[in-house]
Amino acid sequence: MHPLLQNRNTLLAYFAAWLPLGAMLGVVVSGAGHLDWRATLAFIAPLTLLLAFVCLSPWYLCRSLPLNGTPRWKLLTYHSVAAMFASALVLFVAPFLLALLARFRPGIEMQFQPAMRVLAAMCFLFFLLSVALHYVLQALETSRQAEVLSREAELKALKAQVNPHFLFNSLNSISALTNIDPAKAREMCIRLSDFLRNSLRLGERTSIPFGEELALAGTYLDVEQVRFGKRLRVTQDFDKACDACQVPPLLMQPLVENAIKHGVASLTEGGEIALSAHVSGGSLLFSVENPFDPDAPSQRKSGFGLVNVRNRLRARYGNSARLDIAAGQGLYRVNVTVPFIKEAGKE
Amino acid sequence: MSIRAIIADDEELARHILREYIAHQPDIEIVGECDNGFSAVKAIGDQKPDLLFLDVQMPKLDGFEVLELVDANLAVVFVTAYDQYAMKAFDAAAVDYLLKPFDLARFQTTMDRVRRRLAEPSAAVPAAELRNAALPPGRYAERIVIRDGARVHILPVAQIDYVEAQDDYLAFKSAGKSFLKQQTISSLEESLDPKRFVRVHRSFVVNLERIAKIEAYTKDARIAILSDGSKIPVSRAGYLKLKEAMADQ
Repeated sequence: MHPLLQNRNTLLAYFAAWLPLGAMLGVVVSGAGHLDWRATLAFIAPLTLLLAFVCLSPWYLCRSLPLNGTPRWKLLTYHSVAAMFASALVLFVAPFLLALLARFRPGIEMQFQPAMRVLAAMCFLFFLLSVALHYVLQALETSRQAEVLSREAELKALKAQVNPHFLFNSLNSISALTNIDPAKAREMCIRLSDFLRNSLRLGERTSIPFGEELALAGTYLDVEQVRFGKRLRVTQDFDKACDACQVPPLLMQPLVENAIKHGVASLTEGGEIALSAHVSGGSLLFSVENPFDPDAPSQRKSGFGLVNVRNRLRARYGNSARLDIAAGQGLYRVNVTVPFIKEAGKE
Repeated sequence: MSIRAIIADDEELARHILREYIAHQPDIEIVGECDNGFSAVKAIGDQKPDLLFLDVQMPKLDGFEVLELVDANLAVVFVTAYDQYAMKAFDAAAVDYLLKPFDLARFQTTMDRVRRRLAEPSAAVPAAELRNAALPPGRYAERIVIRDGARVHILPVAQIDYVEAQDDYLAFKSAGKSFLKQQTISSLEESLDPKRFVRVHRSFVVNLERIAKIEAYTKDARIAILSDGSKIPVSRAGYLKLKEAMADQ
């Protein structure tokens, strides 16, 4: 479908753009026929409306004749013929309109006769102008689609990743536990399966309730808890109201993963990861805080997880979401603010 | 005579597996267990073990840094979960490496290699080269670890003014202090970001940010004057590299 017809606002803008064009047509025609403005308006206004609709048609022609890959002569011939048809259509309708107008003002058709050629030429030109405009529209559309596609592909790849370090270390913990505490080994198998299953399931969706994201991060921490034992401590401070907010999946979990990887795992004595989530002023605010070793090499800058989350926030919310980092005194904190959206949105 | 081994891994469960498997080997004795890089360096210095099971990712110092800081000639078995670049390095330099999780049969294979390696004395693992080989492309060292008696200095590369080669050692100059480390200047040059550090002379690597000006000395040689006033020689080839690196900035 024509992109201008999909949206009422763009359609209105399109017709608004025709107002000056119609006025121009009116000036030229009234000049050629020495006519007063009332007669011109009555004649030109309906014709301009008709022309505006006719000039939407190049969309289909332009699509079948892409600029790259169509010989010049073909472009020229096809579009000229189409333009001739367009002006012929206007010229065909014009006499009927004049006949109608003649009932109110006899003789008007004779007055307009000299202006007909000018009218035909103008229609021809306007149509070609519209062809050019449509090629521009199409180029915009193509580049926008390419951008969306590449972004989607990128996000899909990012969401699908399960950190191999996490996976193999967890399996190693299970391997150790089978000998020490078989029941715990089984429990960890189940936790790990839960996490993998849920991250696959949620990763496929566009939006999930924040409550599910919290549950996923919780399962992740359950698995890591077995691996790190006493070294990992977790505190949680969540508003119940947060659960319903719709967010892109795997938004908090990568931050929790970072908190383990660059925080708790870098400290011999481990540390406490503090998670919080609140609703305030139409926004959902959540944060992940962890201690870290200031002497450790800073891999944060190239932190894939953080860049990933930031890009996905921008893709989803534009400028209305924020991700801030506060680091100091051995504590690293990531704060995220997103608009609170309750319904599932467009899916 | 039994093989004296140290286990260095920050995860208790990971150490447990090694203990369990080692229990099946009558000729191995565990003389130390460490949960971070510092204590590993200390334990190796104190115990002089024959064999080291070494995790790559540990608090305080990573496995490569531990190796750089110990001069004992010991057999090293890396134990790691996943690291595509490090594995290539292990192939070249370590006796063997174990990918978590591993089974007893795989562990036996490793132990056979260790026994063969210990039976025929060979050169020590070139720790710095090993570390370089394990760095992913485009990634460079972010800090230098230096042992000074019983102490370990961690020197972030940004704090280095320049480095001078002195026989088998490198002298790292930082804020008026000098730290000595046994390493070749070419392996150091390779580990540093060429956009930030340039080898301006056969025996000198300089931090670009420290250069205040460059003066002519003789027809071919120049002198770089650093912001703290120290002067270091710049060879003809070094000057060309310097110009190139500064043009990139």
